[in-house]
Amino acid sequence: MLPSRILGAVWTPLAWAVAVGALALGAWAGWRAVVDRPVILRQLIAGGVVEALMLVEVVVAVVKGATGDGPADPWTFWGYLLTTLVVLPVAAAWSFAERTRWSSVVLLVASLTVAFLHVRLVQVWVG
Amino acid sequence: MSAPHDTGSGPGRVVVAIYAVLATAATFRSGVQILRDLQEAPLAYLLSAVAAVVYVVATVALAKGGRWRPVAWAAVTTELVGVVVVGVLSVTRTDLFPDATVWSGFGQGYGYVPAVLPVLGLWWLRRTGPREDRAAR
Repeated sequence: MLPSRILGAVWTPLAWAVAVGALALGAWAGWRAVVDRPVILRQLIAGGVVEALMLVEVVVAVVKGATGDGPADPWTFWGYLLTTLVVLPVAAAWSFAERTRWSSVVLLVASLTVAFLHVRLVQVWVG
Repeated sequence: MSAPHDTGSGPGRVVVAIYAVLATAATFRSGVQILRDLQEAPLAYLLSAVAAVVYVVATVALAKGGRWRPVAWAAVTTELVGVVVVGVLSVTRTDLFPDATVWSGFGQGYGYVPAVLPVLGLWWLRRTGPREDRAAR
């Protein structure tokens, strides 16, 4: 089926894009932690872009799953995907409460988690 | 500097964040294992579930601090004992664990985070402890 094939070609690059974006955000957060600065709004906007890409991922995965071309291990796949969606918003909420360098470290941890989970997502999709 | 008893702010947020990630991972993994293939490795999978509960309790207790500190101490200590005991058993008694748990091989499958985290947690609890608590130790 044509849409499914196009989506299939889109999904993996999309997941890698999210992983790379998350790593970049993590590097930025890590740098700000080193120079003793808290998370700033521009980082949250960047996080919002990564989050938006993940929402696109969810749509693509749902459509692919519905057309019978879903992940090899659906339980693990959906668990990972839903977890990645939550991580950045929690880190963002904390960065409002914690106006010290430690919010930057939390954002670093969150970004690395998202990047790692995306590597796993790509693996789990293939099975 | 964060006030005594305050385990959930400052650097503590990082500790809580890593705990939250591990708690989510462990809960989810054991849920899938138990729902899908419990009979394959009952001991390993039930142990995964116990570990997951301990991580959730530790996360909540560390985030709350204050009156929850004893709970945090107990949960984090349990983790340290768990990762050491299961780590040793998973190497010496492979027959007991046909499939991996969070604590197998000293948390190998999770980048050894399960082995490092309780030490970090205990250190953090000690550091944020009330003064008399610290003097007594």
